[in-house]
Amino acid sequence: MAAVSRKEWAVVGTQAGMLGILYIFLYLPIFFIIFVSFVDNTVWPFPPEWTLKWYQRLTIMSDFHEGFKNSFLLGLGTACISTFFAGIAAIGLLKYRTRWRGVLAVIYLSPLFVAGLLIGISTLMFNRNILGLHGTLTSAILANSTQAMAFAFLVILAQLARYDWRMDEAAMVFGARPLRTFWEVTLPTIWPSVFGAFLISFILAFNNLEISFYNLGAIPTLPTIAWGTLRHGIEPELYALASVINFLVFFILIILFFLIRLGFVRLGYREQ
Amino acid sequence: MTPPDNSRRKKPMNSEPFHVRFKNVQKSYDGLTLVVKDLNLDIGKGEFVTMLGPSGSGKTTCLMMLAGFESATHGEIVLNGRPINNIPPHKRGIGMVFQNYALFPHMTVAENLSFPLAVRKMPKDKISQKVGQALEMVQMGEFGDRYPAQLSGGQQQRIALARALVFDPELVLMDEPLGALDKQLREQMQFEIKHIHQQLGVTMVYVTHDQSEALTMSDRIAVFNDGIIQQLASPDDLYERPENRFVAQFIGENNELGGTVDAIDGDIARVTLDNGDKVSALAVNIEGAGARTMLSIRPERVIIDPDESRVPQAIGGLVKELIYLGDHIRCRMTVAGNDEFIVKVPNAPGNRRLKVGEKIRIGWITEDCRALDAA
Repeated sequence: MAAVSRKEWAVVGTQAGMLGILYIFLYLPIFFIIFVSFVDNTVWPFPPEWTLKWYQRLTIMSDFHEGFKNSFLLGLGTACISTFFAGIAAIGLLKYRTRWRGVLAVIYLSPLFVAGLLIGISTLMFNRNILGLHGTLTSAILANSTQAMAFAFLVILAQLARYDWRMDEAAMVFGARPLRTFWEVTLPTIWPSVFGAFLISFILAFNNLEISFYNLGAIPTLPTIAWGTLRHGIEPELYALASVINFLVFFILIILFFLIRLGFVRLGYREQ
Repeated sequence: MTPPDNSRRKKPMNSEPFHVRFKNVQKSYDGLTLVVKDLNLDIGKGEFVTMLGPSGSGKTTCLMMLAGFESATHGEIVLNGRPINNIPPHKRGIGMVFQNYALFPHMTVAENLSFPLAVRKMPKDKISQKVGQALEMVQMGEFGDRYPAQLSGGQQQRIALARALVFDPELVLMDEPLGALDKQLREQMQFEIKHIHQQLGVTMVYVTHDQSEALTMSDRIAVFNDGIIQQLASPDDLYERPENRFVAQFIGENNELGGTVDAIDGDIARVTLDNGDKVSALAVNIEGAGARTMLSIRPERVIIDPDESRVPQAIGGLVKELIYLGDHIRCRMTVAGNDEFIVKVPNAPGNRRLKVGEKIRIGWITEDCRALDAA
């Protein structure tokens, strides 16, 4: 390496320092929660007295089990609906050229600009006052999908914009019906983005409080349990709960990372 | 699902002399402007027809209508005697080579080639046999296990060609298939495609904007401009007997001289050039006496110091520039006000050396000078 002047070291050092501070700012609260979830003296955890009792208590809390199951179902349902409709929307928008494209895209993305709280409240009002429906897991899934669809749409659109539609034409000219063309040619090429959209909408709905809260009625999910405990004073089990959720999300991200590293998932269509 | 190539079984039922027919076909994307204006074109069985034209001339649109990706706004497209306007692309049984090959990136070469066969529900052993044959035909026998991204442009081109032919279609469309290759490879592939065409006897419809490609490969060329076929003819006819100014300019090198028609005497037009010189030309596409015309003469048909007994009139020219090219000398001169007038002087015994600034006499055989429209 060529000689680096003291001034350049100073610049690099400052940048590295800034980056370090930024990461600490982002991750310190998360790591602190994880740290506290393993200690007995949660109020002032120094020096730490290590324990696993909060996690043990979590395993015997029945509403936690219920909450986890509901969160999982909520995530799964939202992910399926969002990915399906976002995929269709992205394909339609790119494949069929119309001068209304811009307008259609904005309409599809507009839930991104509406506060989750408003989506939650207005869905509740509409369902109860107009449709006469009670809050259920289904209505929460549908409400979450409005927002998650917009995210999924962006993820799929980003990759699909580079897709060569001539490959679809090739498949069709060689005798494949439209559905077969989609399954055998389009989807295998764009599936990393579809999978990415699925994961993102799953995580969004799994973690969501403000939309789910108004539409779930009395059905508990992990975020609503956390919210509930908060109102009755923070209990140490909450730290354990937060840590579990974080572990799960990190776990999914790590799996995704290894899939990419090992070549099972290719992010982006390899151009020829 | 009806197998797409059942059109072949229906063949004896009709004895049409043509394989593909465009009948009064029009295409408009916006309902206002016609991209293709009243196209009529018959393509015979086993013929190699090229649609040649600048970009935006409507040639690619015509190919896409034949493939089924675009629908005709008006008129009829007939394949094997059957109108196909309402038949979707996957039921037309046409082979196609795309501009950027459109190979499936997630499939190996062999899988790419199997695709048209698997879709037709051919048994597995038959598929691998056919794929092997097709790969041999394009000299890519050992590449079956590679992915398209692992191949060079020329190799991908061969695979795309093999994929278009593997299911024995009777009609193969090619949309500028050689556009992405370098010059040498392009010329090599032109001959290979031509040989494959002769070998298999399939009908080929080829789209290109490269006139030398069209001249090399085609039985007939349809020159497109402005949504209209300007001329449909064999390569030699197109080059030697262009019917209008656009074709004369688009195919090969051309000299133009503007003038006014004085009289038409049978096939011969008497023309006064813009500088007052009087010449005679073959009347091809002119309205009559008094009309404007553009005379078209190929650079190799101009005679220097003509023998007055062979050539009706000689006119004067001033040599501006000489480029020595070995087999011929390229001479740029000013003739009747046009200072881009090119003459190719063969480097043959007895031809005298020209000098820049020299005033010489030039002429031509009347048939070589074509009086065309001035539009």
